[in-house]
Amino acid sequence: MEPASEQLLEIYTNMVRSRAFEELVISIMPKGKIPAGWMSGVGQEGIVGALSGLREDDYVTYTHRGAYYFLCRGSDPGRILAELYGKRTGYCGGKGGRHLADTKHRLFGKSGTIGGHAPIAVGLATAVQIRGEDSVVMSFFGDGTSNRGTTHESMNLTSVWKLPLIWVCENNGWAGLTPSSMSTAYTDVADLAEAYSIPGRIVDGNDVLEVHEATREAVARARAGAGPSLIELKTYRIREFAEGGWFPTGYRDPEEVEAWKKRDPIERFRAVLLSRGVLTAGQVEEIQQKAVEEMQVAQKFADESEFPPVEDAFTDLYA
Amino acid sequence: MRTIGFMQAMNEALQEEMRRDPSVYVLGLGVHYSGTHPSVTAGLIDEFGAARVRSTPVSEAAVAGSCVGAALAGMRPVAQFSLADFVFCALDEILCKAGKWRYTHGAEGGMSLPIVFLETIGGYVSAASEHSQSPLALYAHAPGLKIAVPTTPYNAKGLLKTAIRDNNPVVFFPHKRLMGAQGPVPEEDYTVPFGQAEVRREGRDVTVVATSYMVTLALEAASKLEEQGVDTEVIDPLTLEPLDTERIVESVRKTGRRVVVDEDTERCGVGAEIGMQVVERAFDALKAPIQRVSNPNLPVPYSRPLEQAVLPSREKIEKAIQQTLAA
Ligand SMILES: Cc1ncc(C[n+]2csc(CCOP(=O)(O)OP(=O)(O)O)c2C)c(N)n1
Repeated sequence: MEPASEQLLEIYTNMVRSRAFEELVISIMPKGKIPAGWMSGVGQEGIVGALSGLREDDYVTYTHRGAYYFLCRGSDPGRILAELYGKRTGYCGGKGGRHLADTKHRLFGKSGTIGGHAPIAVGLATAVQIRGEDSVVMSFFGDGTSNRGTTHESMNLTSVWKLPLIWVCENNGWAGLTPSSMSTAYTDVADLAEAYSIPGRIVDGNDVLEVHEATREAVARARAGAGPSLIELKTYRIREFAEGGWFPTGYRDPEEVEAWKKRDPIERFRAVLLSRGVLTAGQVEEIQQKAVEEMQVAQKFADESEFPPVEDAFTDLYA
Repeated sequence: MRTIGFMQAMNEALQEEMRRDPSVYVLGLGVHYSGTHPSVTAGLIDEFGAARVRSTPVSEAAVAGSCVGAALAGMRPVAQFSLADFVFCALDEILCKAGKWRYTHGAEGGMSLPIVFLETIGGYVSAASEHSQSPLALYAHAPGLKIAVPTTPYNAKGLLKTAIRDNNPVVFFPHKRLMGAQGPVPEEDYTVPFGQAEVRREGRDVTVVATSYMVTLALEAASKLEEQGVDTEVIDPLTLEPLDTERIVESVRKTGRRVVVDEDTERCGVGAEIGMQVVERAFDALKAPIQRVSNPNLPVPYSRPLEQAVLPSREKIEKAIQQTLAA
């Protein structure tokens, strides 16, 4: 079933907002206002298709890359940016930085260790199952993260316990400087599904509608109590591993990057929407303009926010 | 008062807390087993079912991390890990997620992580280096965790109830050599508070601070030395975080002499920490150097005489007490 026009527009808008946030961060980086790196999600906005099939009472665990998770769930980009600045108004009061959380939207924290989320996702789904609720958990992870033991322990456990969880692998082919071919015995991460006796599916991660359709099916399955699934999104990281200038470059074939730029998920989706008449050229302009304005407001908010008082360093360790 | 075993005391705490609060559940290796062999989780599955008594695969990291996730979603998991030695596989989950996520991510949303990690510690059972560890200092070193070290059936039950009701992650360390202990435990509901040391023996001449099974050895040493007219005070902190420094310092102010007994490796250990707390707060009251009795930074060997040589013993504690008295 194709999503309604309204939902298609929402998906498109969230992709554009995600990209606008990335562009904002990239433009701010040289100014030194963000005292650490940021892992850009440019080129991986097809993920929005997965997130758009979730309800407010669902849970998401997320990777170190991109802001789409937050923007799709309803987080305020001003507070995200304020957190990256280390300001008091940030979502973690300046204690997390890019280890973002927005507890109100059930985004509970970014693991400093990749693969740290997988067990946490298992626990969220366990809570849902014990209480007999019909929320689901969507747990994102990178192809590099698929090599962690926690990923495997957790996939096995979700299958054994038949938990309401959707594993979504963002396979961008690289883990830092290392290509999958050097690190990963399986070509397709989705093949793990067979080992763990759950449905597995590979989709074009830069085709947001395909992503949406595949994840919607998996969400419905999990919600109905039929257990977990694994969906692999084949995509690509357009930017370097991290923004901020501290990461090596030149380890990838520039032609590879250029080829993937041509498969930009936002441009592709825009063309589909324009050709189907869901979107007009005027609306394209308007959505873009609004996203840029939203990010300008966010930047002003972060710029004008105060740093936390030093006393804050000594609070909130224990409940 | 009736007398029950240490494991039964813990079992009752779990059962009573699971009855009291539907968000409490237990998980771990073999917790579904409900036979006649005594265990901390015996019989729970019959009353609470497999949803709240969850048998797990050998996946310590996934189990520990799942406790964090479930707690984030409002549950109160109790993970039964059997030996602390196995939990090294899950330290990222316990030290970095359970211990740090509230501070790092969650103050605004009132995030709390009510989790209990049950980890049995200790040597004296010829189990060699990877089944005999007492890594208390490792956990005490990490911010954000509470640490309970029970020593009797009474305080095991009361501390476990406090741990389950606490809104923070608690690592709870029973000792292999104490699991078979019997002791008086009331039938009615009670708890034992965190952060209040128990004076297990009052004395005037020297203060011995000991944790876990070391309390038993310290009490034996104290009895022996009583024959020679030495009056030893034995303090059992019961929790290392929070630590009842006040009670320890008060005792040292009375006796002026201090021995710390700790089964863990000595370097940067709990004994060093407790010793330094005393030095910082009551240096003027000390009449002699503080003595430590611990494992001298060695893996625990298998053979009985070798294990005895490495781990603290009643004799080593007696000797340390005599040394501090002679100084
Ligand atoms: C346990 C652990 N090891 C190493 C790192 C450093 N690290 C951060 S991201 C990353 C690569 C992740 O690759 P992948 O999962 O494919 O995600 P991508 O960055 O490609 O989106 C590494 C090695 C870490 N954060 N945690």
